[in-house]
Amino acid sequence: MTEPLLDGRGVTKRYGGLVAVNNVDFQVFPKEIVGLIGPNGSGKTTLFDCLSRVQSIDEGQVMFKGTDITRKKPHQVAHLGMARTFQVIRVYRKLTILENMKVSRQWRGEQPWNQLRPSHRDIETRAHELIEFLKLEHLTHENAGTLSGGQRRLLELGMALMPDPELVLLDEAASGVNPTLVNEIKDRIRELNRDHGKTFLVVEHDMRFISDLCNRVYVLNYGQKLAEGTPTEVMEDEAVIEAYFGT
Amino acid sequence: MRRLPRTPRLVLLVLLIAGLATMPLIPDWFPDQSWVTNSRLFSFTQMFMLITLASNWNLTGGFAGYVDFGHAVFFGIGAYGTGILMNHGWSFWPAMGAGAVFALVFALVIGWPTLRLKGPYFAIAMLGTFVAVREIVRVSKGLTGGGVGLTLPPYLNRPLFYWITLALAVVVVFIMWWIRRSEFGATLIAIREDEVGAEMRGINTTVNKITAFAIGAFSTGIVGGLWAYQNTFIDPDVVFFPSRTVELVMMSMLGGLGTVAGPVLGAATIYWMRDVVWANFADYHLMVEGFLLILIVLYTPEGIMGRLGDKSATSLQKVWKRNGKVPEDAVDEAVEQVTP
Repeated sequence: MTEPLLDGRGVTKRYGGLVAVNNVDFQVFPKEIVGLIGPNGSGKTTLFDCLSRVQSIDEGQVMFKGTDITRKKPHQVAHLGMARTFQVIRVYRKLTILENMKVSRQWRGEQPWNQLRPSHRDIETRAHELIEFLKLEHLTHENAGTLSGGQRRLLELGMALMPDPELVLLDEAASGVNPTLVNEIKDRIRELNRDHGKTFLVVEHDMRFISDLCNRVYVLNYGQKLAEGTPTEVMEDEAVIEAYFGT
Repeated sequence: MRRLPRTPRLVLLVLLIAGLATMPLIPDWFPDQSWVTNSRLFSFTQMFMLITLASNWNLTGGFAGYVDFGHAVFFGIGAYGTGILMNHGWSFWPAMGAGAVFALVFALVIGWPTLRLKGPYFAIAMLGTFVAVREIVRVSKGLTGGGVGLTLPPYLNRPLFYWITLALAVVVVFIMWWIRRSEFGATLIAIREDEVGAEMRGINTTVNKITAFAIGAFSTGIVGGLWAYQNTFIDPDVVFFPSRTVELVMMSMLGGLGTVAGPVLGAATIYWMRDVVWANFADYHLMVEGFLLILIVLYTPEGIMGRLGDKSATSLQKVWKRNGKVPEDAVDEAVEQVTP
C-alpha cells in the first residue's frame, strides 16, 4: 500500500482554554487533491498553520515524507518539499513579480556565498516558465503591490510552486477572485496534479470548487474531524449538513 | 519620472567619481584657486564617511527592515579597537582591520538574541546595547583610558584621508548595489515585507538578518577606525555620540529606505544642508534643521528615491507596521473583499 505523503496523528492545538484543533487524524497520499472544509471557526486554517509550522502543535505528531516535522522550523519544512499559500495573500509588494518568484525558490543545498550572485539561469528560466503558465507574463517586471487581488492569488500560487514542492497547501485560493479567474486557478491545479504529479491539500469555502477538484474531503467542526469521504459522500452526510445549516 | 538609460548613467557616475578623486590635486595644478582647501577636503572626508555609515545602516534598517537605533556602537568598537591596538604598538592598517573584526564579532554575538525582536523592541534593545557599551568603555580605565580617553599617534594628511574615505564609500555603495541585485538582497527585502511569509517559503530569516547585520557592522567598524586615526583623540562621549545613529536614520529616510542611492543622496543632502543652515542661522540652527527634516519626512515618506520612482523604497512607518505581521494593507484588502 502507498505510504501517505502527509500523515497527522492526534493533532491538537490549544489557545488557553480553547481547543482549536482537537485530536485530528488525517492522511494525504501522493498525487491526491484533498479538501479540508468546515464552517467558519472550525479550525481549518489553524490546522494548516500547524502543518506548515507557523503554529506549534500541543499534542500529536505530523510526518511528511516519512520525516517527523512536529518540531521542525517552518523553513525546514519548506525545504522538505511542502509549500503553502495564505488566506490573506502574502506577496512581497516591493519586489517585482519575477523577484517574488525567484526569492521563493528556497535555498535547497545552496551555499550562502552563492546567494551573493544574481540568480542562476535555471532559476530565472523556471520563474519565467511559471509566470507564463500563470498567464502573468505581461506583468513580469511590475511590483507585486500593483496587482489586483486575483493576480496576487495567482502569483502566490506561482511562488508556492517555484521550489517544485511535492505537497502544496492552498488556503482559500479562490477567495476574493472573480469567477473567470477561479476557473483559471482550478485548471492550473488540475494540470499540475495530472501532468506534474503534484499533491494538493485545499482549504476552501466554495463547495463547487471543492467538489470539482478534490478526490477526498475532510470536514472539521469545532476543531474535530466530523466526516471524511468523497465530495458526494460528505455533502450527503447528515452531520455535515447539520454543521453547515443547523438543521 | 523617466530615468536615464544605463550607459549614460554609468558614464556620469564614473565622471563624478573621477572628478572627486582629482579634487585634492587641484591646489597643485592651480595654486591661485581658493575653493579646494584643507578645510574643504576635511568636509568632503566627513561626508564620505557619513555616506558609508548610512549605507551600512540601510542594509539592516532599510533592506531587512530592522531599524537599529544603536548602530553607532560598531563605530565606537572600531574606533576603540584601532586606538587601543595602536597604543600597544600596532600600525594603523592592521589595527583598523582588527577593530572592524571586533565590530563584526560583536554584531554576531549581539545580533543572535536582538534580531529575534521585532520593530521598536529591536530598536530599543540596540539603543540599550549602545549605552551599555559606552558605559563599559567609560569604566574600563586600564584598557580604554576611561573618561580621559586615548590619544592616537598624529598623522595629518588630509588628501590621503580624503582618498581613503572616498574609496571606501565607493566600494561600500558598490557592494550595496551588488547585494540589492543578488538573491541575498531580494531575500532581505522579502524579510522586510513579510517575515513570516519568507520563513514559510524556506528562507532562514535568522541567518540572513545576522549576515546583513554583520556586514554592516564590519564596514562601520572600518569607518570608526579611520575616524579615530584622523581625529587623533577618542573618548566615550565623542566616539559614542548619541545622535550619530539618529543622523544615519534621518539620512537613509531622506534618501529612501531600502534603496542603494538613498543613503548617498540623504547623507550628502543633510551634510551640506547642515553647513548652510549653520552658516545662516548660527543661534538656532538645530531648530531650523529639525523643522526642515520634519517637512521632508512628512511630505516624502519614501524619500528622494521613492519620489524618483525607485520601486524598492519604503518608509519607516511601513517598516514598523509590517515587522512580524501580515502586511496591514493586505488585511485591509481582505476585509474589503468580504465586506458587501
